[in-house]
Amino acid sequence: MNTVVAAITYRALLGRRRIVLLLLLPLALIALAVLFKLVGEGDQRTTVLLLQSFALSTMLPLLGLIAGTGVIAPEIDDGTIIHLMSKPISRPVIIRTKFVVAVSLLALFATVPTYVAGWLLVGNEAGIAAGFAVGALVAGIAYAALFLLLGVITRHAVTIGVIYALVWESLVGNLVPGARRFSIQAWGQSVAGQITDSPFFRTDVTLGFAVPALIIVTLAGVFWAGRRLRGYSLTGDE
Amino acid sequence: MSEIYDIGYRHYDGPRLGRAHSFRALAVHSLRGIFGIGRPARSKIVPFALVAIMLMPAVVSIALMALIKERGIAYSAYAVIMQAVVAIFLASQSPTVVAPDLRHRVLPLYLSRPVSVADYVAAKVAAMTVAVFALVAVPLTLMYVGEVVVDLPGDPATGEYAGSILMALALALLLAAFGLALASFTPRRGLGVASVMVVYLLSSASVPMVYGTLYSTGNEAAASWAWLLNPFWLVDSVQSWLFGTPPHSIEGAAYPSGPASLAVLVLLIAAGLGALALRYRKAAAR
Repeated sequence: MNTVVAAITYRALLGRRRIVLLLLLPLALIALAVLFKLVGEGDQRTTVLLLQSFALSTMLPLLGLIAGTGVIAPEIDDGTIIHLMSKPISRPVIIRTKFVVAVSLLALFATVPTYVAGWLLVGNEAGIAAGFAVGALVAGIAYAALFLLLGVITRHAVTIGVIYALVWESLVGNLVPGARRFSIQAWGQSVAGQITDSPFFRTDVTLGFAVPALIIVTLAGVFWAGRRLRGYSLTGDE
Repeated sequence: MSEIYDIGYRHYDGPRLGRAHSFRALAVHSLRGIFGIGRPARSKIVPFALVAIMLMPAVVSIALMALIKERGIAYSAYAVIMQAVVAIFLASQSPTVVAPDLRHRVLPLYLSRPVSVADYVAAKVAAMTVAVFALVAVPLTLMYVGEVVVDLPGDPATGEYAGSILMALALALLLAAFGLALASFTPRRGLGVASVMVVYLLSSASVPMVYGTLYSTGNEAAASWAWLLNPFWLVDSVQSWLFGTPPHSIEGAAYPSGPASLAVLVLLIAAGLGALALRYRKAAAR
């Protein structure tokens, strides 16, 4: 951890208009929860539907993408990473710092709104709010690591990330059950399913597979991103 | 005392091609950039992969027509069914049209020529519109040619095909105006991709949920308006009114009245173009 690098990264992600991007989706989630509450649909079924199909499968991957690639990709894109890399700071430490920043942002912008939306609708009934919040947190950590790695490897990180989150996890995951085993989202849902005991929520990846997978993706992502940055050469694109 | 010397540079006295030519050159250059033509191979991977994904259902559909004499996807439903791919294309390629000029602040260079801000914006929107239109219309045309060649029993669905091509143009204009407006707010490509994607997903993920909730609590009239929040369903509702095609919303739910949808569509296109014009007026002043 390096506090100066962390402070610079926070400023880069939260400064000016960029915070709007991080705020839009959580605000929409809470607005939907309020709407459901107002029209009197505040039961467990709707809550699980909202948290599963909006919070976990739409909001979380996108926020993970914005936070995970946003901590490093813009700097690589406009070349200012050179100022950071020329300082006597170990590059794996730079990566670890940026990873911690991304995770903290996800905890703030994804986990907290997920809990608030669940709590608004059903209170603490059946542990839905807490379960989904924990699921969002662990999946958010893995997303941050994966997308941070993607941001170091390629300049099309956001596009590839969107294709992974939308096409693989949502489209292919819905059609081919086997694809769900290799989806961070499904692992997060599996953790969420362990905490909540709502009858409306079913998961199809076992916890015994999800937890090791989450840990491996996170550690491998951060480690490999650190290695990539150690031997990084700045080259032009386009 | 200073004096400007004539140091013998030759003047340009060839033909001046004028505004229309520079508009065309700018539009063609942007269009080539969208598909990565004239750029390194890795800039071509994403757009052409998305075009290939977009063509797949058309190929499957032709195979169905040839083998079991049945229609696959209806022409009018193509854009709605493939909306995620179209949205990813729009999100990933809009920043390549607007971001480099903003980042390198070369706008004043363009504007020192006869090109005006309006010309510049119009050329960019035209290029993006043509690209999105091609993305939707090429599979449709392929499918139509397939249908004519396979010679299904009964007349080919020429009317539906023509209608869906016209609506593809309307959809392309709407998406191009909005995609470029959103992407032009940041000079960074990654953030541009993310912001277009965030807005699309907000509209696509929330609409069925808002609709379902309002519907199940008995607000059918209010529920049907929810479809207009998503560009693809909005254009489909106009299509369903103009050409009498069945609605392609989830489970064939009814749309609100057609003229209102058309008004919303026109208003949204105007809003997107207006936002772009304002953004570039500001960018040009820097």
